[in-house]
Amino acid sequence: MKDKQFWLVTSGVIIAFAIYWLLGHPYFVIDRIVMFFSILSLSATLIYYTRAAERGEEFYLRPIPALKAVEEAVGRSTEMGRPILYVPGIQDMDQVETVAGVVVLGHVAKMTARYETSLNVPVSRSIVMKAARESCRDAYTVEGRPDMFNEDMVHYLTDDQFAYAAGVNGIMVREKPAACMYMGKFYAESLILAETGNSIGAIQIAGTASQAQIPFFVTACDYTLIGEEFFAASAYLSQKPELIGGVKGQDMIKLAVIAVMILSTILMVLYESTGFGFNISEYLTIR
Amino acid sequence: MFWKRQVPIFIVALIGSITLFGWFIDQPDVKEFIGDDATQWFDVLASFAIILGALNLIKLQIQKVLYQKPGWQYSVIAVLGFIFAIVAGFFVKGVDDSVAQWGAHVTSDGTLFKWMFDYVFSPMSATMFSLLAFFVASASYRAFRIRNFEATLLLVSGIIIMVGRVPIGGVISSWFIMYLIVLGLGIYVNSIKKDTKVTFVFVAVGVSLVTIGGIISDWPVDQPGIFYLPSIQEWIYYYPNVAGARAIMIGIGLGIFATSIRYILGIERSYIGE
Repeated sequence: MKDKQFWLVTSGVIIAFAIYWLLGHPYFVIDRIVMFFSILSLSATLIYYTRAAERGEEFYLRPIPALKAVEEAVGRSTEMGRPILYVPGIQDMDQVETVAGVVVLGHVAKMTARYETSLNVPVSRSIVMKAARESCRDAYTVEGRPDMFNEDMVHYLTDDQFAYAAGVNGIMVREKPAACMYMGKFYAESLILAETGNSIGAIQIAGTASQAQIPFFVTACDYTLIGEEFFAASAYLSQKPELIGGVKGQDMIKLAVIAVMILSTILMVLYESTGFGFNISEYLTIR
Repeated sequence: MFWKRQVPIFIVALIGSITLFGWFIDQPDVKEFIGDDATQWFDVLASFAIILGALNLIKLQIQKVLYQKPGWQYSVIAVLGFIFAIVAGFFVKGVDDSVAQWGAHVTSDGTLFKWMFDYVFSPMSATMFSLLAFFVASASYRAFRIRNFEATLLLVSGIIIMVGRVPIGGVISSWFIMYLIVLGLGIYVNSIKKDTKVTFVFVAVGVSLVTIGGIISDWPVDQPGIFYLPSIQEWIYYYPNVAGARAIMIGIGLGIFATSIRYILGIERSYIGE
């Protein structure tokens, strides 16, 4: 009970929901109540660990080679005097992966500002262009190098998937960047980009939650951030306690999910083979 | 600072919460907002933003041509293509109003815009897509190259999946696979013991056992099932593969959830700068 404020608010939310429930819970979709409580408890876990980290509690984060390699890639580009190519996926800002890609771009831009390396960010959506520009501008300003920021380092190519792939491939072949980073949502163009990057000998780091594209990136890139690692990248790179706390919270949720899966499997086996207990799948099915 | 930080965070928190918790509310207006309005707002914003992107593209390409930067010739084609698409889209239909009205002309046969789409854009897109076949081949070569235990496992699984899913896989007898396994194990035994006599005895006993088993059971093609390629590929595809994929999927789901919550609660603010 270290965090009294947290427990007070949690109790308040529970009491408020209990009152709402007793009043007849108007408009509430009862079929989704398990999901509702899951979301509340998962959010509470995240907030709890974030606050714990802010209070000064230290959490261990296992080292992720791909994130260590980001700085290495920037250093390599500096030594070779070649640019860094950063591709924030081919989807718009309504995709959480694109947002995560733009956030990681901010950290990469800080490193390029520090090392005075040129950065090239071709994008396939106009809104992403504006967001990525702001992110880069901010990173260069924070690093005390606003003079190095050039608006055109983030530039729009096209919305079309394969035309974009062709454009990025053209940049790779002409400019021969020393490092290529692919962080965002990708579809079939992932392998076209990664193989071209491989052919020019660039160090390649990819991060995506697009499950079908992970094998392609693993094959063609030097380092790959798989799924959740990609979303944790911001915490690793910034080392901000509140973000690291979130990653810890995420791990605790994963532990809880594993426990629920094992328990549910045992309950289901018992129910189906002996009739003992209840059909837990009825409660866990999303309706 | 208020407009650049607090207001965006408030908008993200408000719209994010409505979208998240609206899923649990059975109210037509809320449902309509989540299902239609919110996405339409985004589409409208994105449509306006495309002008910014197009201007940026044309500005950079013209600059490249004017200053004769490396590869400026490609930029000439990009600028000409841009102008041609605007002319075909807004000024020259190429057909009478009786054939296609303005607006409908982008999808009507015979118009300049449709011609451009069918005979320039589509073939070029298809060309880029076709490149995937070659890239898959080169990537597979690298992935399947035997370097360590994992790569060997990947190679063997890949071959089983590929052969097991085509008709020829069904006619390969499970007894043939068993002979192959005995020979493969013979190589393994030889690499450990480094004694040809031991290897010979091992292979001879293995081959004899398989042959006796085959004679007794009359060599059925698909028996024993665990050595029949279509059965093995099905097992690999539906069990180890699905288990791995689901583990990644759960991780991704949790990652997306945690990230979204961080944005909604304003814990992660990097997307609007520091």
